[in-house]
Amino acid sequence: MEELFFVGKDIPRVDARTKATGEAIYTVDLAFPNMLWGQMLRSPHPHAKILNIDTSRAERLSGVKVVITGRETPFVFGVSHMDQTPLQTEKVRYVGDPVAAVAAVDLDTAEEALSLIKVDYEPLPAVFDPEEAMKEGAPIIHEGKLRNIAANPIYNIGDVEAAFKEADDVFEDRFETQRVAHVCPEPHNCVAVWDHSGKLTFYYCSQMPSVSRVQLSKAFGIPESKIRVVTNNVGGGFGSRATSKFPMDFVAIVLAKKSGRPVKIECTRAEEFIWTTFRHKFIMTVKTGIKKDGTITGRHITNICDNGAYCDYGPVVTNVGGAMQGTLYRFMNYRYDGYTVYTNLPYGGAMRGIGNPQVHFAGEAQLNMIAHRLGMDPLELRLKNAVRTGDETASGAVLKSCGLTECLEGVANKIGWKGKRANPKPNRGVGIACGVHFTGVRLSPGIDADFAGATMVVNDDGSVNLATSCVDIGSGSSTALTQIAAETLGIEMEKINTIFGDTETCPMGWGSRASRNTAIGGMAVKKAAEDARAQILKAAGEKMEVHPDDLGIRNSTVFVKSAPSRSMSVADVVRFNRYRKNGQAVMAKAHWDAPSTLADKVTGRGNFSMAFSFGAKAIEVEVDPGTGQMNIIEVAAAQDLGKAINPLGAIGQIEGGVHMGLGFAMSEEIVLDEVGRMRNNYLLDYRMPTALDMPPVSSILVETDDPIGPFGAKGVGEMAIISTPDALMAAVYDAVGVWIPDLPITPEKILLALKKKKAAEKAG
Amino acid sequence: MKKTVKLVINGETHILEVEHRRTLLEVIRDDLRLTGTKKMCGQGECGSCTVLMDGLAVNACLVLALDADGKRIETIEGLAQDGKLHPIQEAFIEKGAIQCGFCAPGMILTTKALLAKNPSPTEVEIKTAIAGNFCRCTGYARIVDAIQSAAVRLRGE
Repeated sequence: MEELFFVGKDIPRVDARTKATGEAIYTVDLAFPNMLWGQMLRSPHPHAKILNIDTSRAERLSGVKVVITGRETPFVFGVSHMDQTPLQTEKVRYVGDPVAAVAAVDLDTAEEALSLIKVDYEPLPAVFDPEEAMKEGAPIIHEGKLRNIAANPIYNIGDVEAAFKEADDVFEDRFETQRVAHVCPEPHNCVAVWDHSGKLTFYYCSQMPSVSRVQLSKAFGIPESKIRVVTNNVGGGFGSRATSKFPMDFVAIVLAKKSGRPVKIECTRAEEFIWTTFRHKFIMTVKTGIKKDGTITGRHITNICDNGAYCDYGPVVTNVGGAMQGTLYRFMNYRYDGYTVYTNLPYGGAMRGIGNPQVHFAGEAQLNMIAHRLGMDPLELRLKNAVRTGDETASGAVLKSCGLTECLEGVANKIGWKGKRANPKPNRGVGIACGVHFTGVRLSPGIDADFAGATMVVNDDGSVNLATSCVDIGSGSSTALTQIAAETLGIEMEKINTIFGDTETCPMGWGSRASRNTAIGGMAVKKAAEDARAQILKAAGEKMEVHPDDLGIRNSTVFVKSAPSRSMSVADVVRFNRYRKNGQAVMAKAHWDAPSTLADKVTGRGNFSMAFSFGAKAIEVEVDPGTGQMNIIEVAAAQDLGKAINPLGAIGQIEGGVHMGLGFAMSEEIVLDEVGRMRNNYLLDYRMPTALDMPPVSSILVETDDPIGPFGAKGVGEMAIISTPDALMAAVYDAVGVWIPDLPITPEKILLALKKKKAAEKAG
Repeated sequence: MKKTVKLVINGETHILEVEHRRTLLEVIRDDLRLTGTKKMCGQGECGSCTVLMDGLAVNACLVLALDADGKRIETIEGLAQDGKLHPIQEAFIEKGAIQCGFCAPGMILTTKALLAKNPSPTEVEIKTAIAGNFCRCTGYARIVDAIQSAAVRLRGE
């Protein structure tokens, strides 16, 4: 392999200096002269008819510039289902559904104005449990959606019933996962600015600004060229900003239009928790057939996704875990029945792993239970069934690179699996789990595309302006993309300025979601850089009278390979190329569509991603049987990322994923009251792990050199969270002998389970 | 009701007419537009608005601007001197302690207060010092690493 100068190196982030000095601007830092503050009035009822809205008193309040209701926001929007309008006119479907909005000179005035709006409601019967909502006769939340089922993604591959007959044992278990929040450090916010040429500039911390532009253009009926969506630095996204639009975005734009002034809307932390989507609650049943030798014959997973009042990403979230559970083990008989069910509760959305962490939890948790029931080693059971490079899985994924076995063996060695299981200590246990996630995805029905874009200009001085469609939401994608550009061009990173997030200067792309920036964004950058490099070499060849094939570039110098002393700088080549008759600029562009395929409409099968990232986690825990308190001794996390473009950044992703995974596993939960109001909408009550709560995490990077991705790279960010709760659940069992099949695994649940176990032992 | 306050921020004296109920955070971010100080919660729970008040790390959202009258305030904008970054900033950059960066200003100032008081903190002392500073991206390991590295740099080793 050729020597690499930038790729594979621990290079500090390109944006770290401005972030360390406070100079980095985030959308929430923006303020404009004459700017108004927007606020929305939200429903206090979970399900009610709107009889009348009286805004007259609010309009008369000094400092209030505009008051609007749903009549002014007649836009239907949604990600997979167009089931939402910004402000409701007919009925509200959850506590928090917006019905009116104001723009005022300051926040206090806006809030006072909201209190002066009078809304008459007629409460309707509501339903808060998805299993209840699916029954005949349950209140209907959206007209025409029978039994409140918004979507029903299915995978039906092979013959799962025959597989169960063929099996020596068939096990069926039920699992539940809770709602957890993204907790983006930067709260969701936006500023809308219209000018008198009819142009809209929308400052918005989006994971996919160019997609936002398309949606705004459709909603407002103005050309895309007259809409500029600007995303600055983003204070974390984790999927919440991959949502197409929030009501607040349309509302800010309408308020700005009507007032003729810039309007900003910013969520408080309490609003951020519950009204900017969260990880959906899943109720899952897993049925698995297995032979005496540990061969899995087939699996049937049923998943009920508590969608909440609107779909957002719900149907996709319900789907993804189904696809991924058919991509981990070698069984070819697989059925998945997903139900995306409306309830009168706040709605979930995409969150790191988009449904896959939940379904993996169920699948992996059950596999650990099965291993125990059959007296098998959970590691051996996994290794026996693990998919390998070259496999075409039940889901239809074609694995061009697969390091699942290396990941499993890596974490087992790190945690001391064999030794610790052979010599158990009281109240201490080890657990293992593994998983797979995609690198970009083609699961959206009807859209046969998964792409990113890049444009590149080489300046007179040999420096480079690179514009990418990939927003760096904190993951470090701009750094990885700059490394890829530098490596391909032979131009140093410090000469490359990488920008993102402005639809006026950056090409269109699918945005920052589905672990796709480094690989898919990276391929677009690589293709553009290859083109720019070829342009430089062609011009240099003319000047130096050498065939371009005999030229190379290193450290911004073009040299003759057969006579390296003959050289000229890239800057000289660019100037030679430009300042002559019929001159040319070095400019390149690329639009790269990942080579994946849409799923078969009947079976759900398809090679839905360009590459698959595998991973495993092993956890050692000590449990106090008197209190149920868990002390995590160590977490080992291995990940097959193809090639680590930036190992320091990749490890940061893995450690951050484990942190989020441990919160999901043991402490975080959005607690709702009987009508869907969040009870713990404070950071301290929500309980993310703090620095003091974090155990040592060892990261193992498994490089499998994927044949498609740039320099062999695959996605990293989402796989990092997957498998954490599954491994913890098994470790807790290994320590004190109780399974906690519903997340989070809390000391309270452990104590109750221990009590039950003792009572059963006494009785039995 | 407004009152006059004198705030010495990053060595510069500001005489301001401030509404009595306004917080130091609001004055720093909204009035003086020093937006390096971040607001994640505004309720004293996240540490992102940490500034140094007479050398002590405080949540600027929990301090009334009037209570900062005459105090020496240091925000993230005051750390780099003469175009040169502070060793803590350098450590955070090199050790990969920054991802989305929203918690970084508060985290760096908390570190500065810690290392002024305790130049050789143990890992537990570091974790205790930053337990009130939330980070959603890193899992904290790189931040602890950066603080250890910053301590070494500041001790001149």
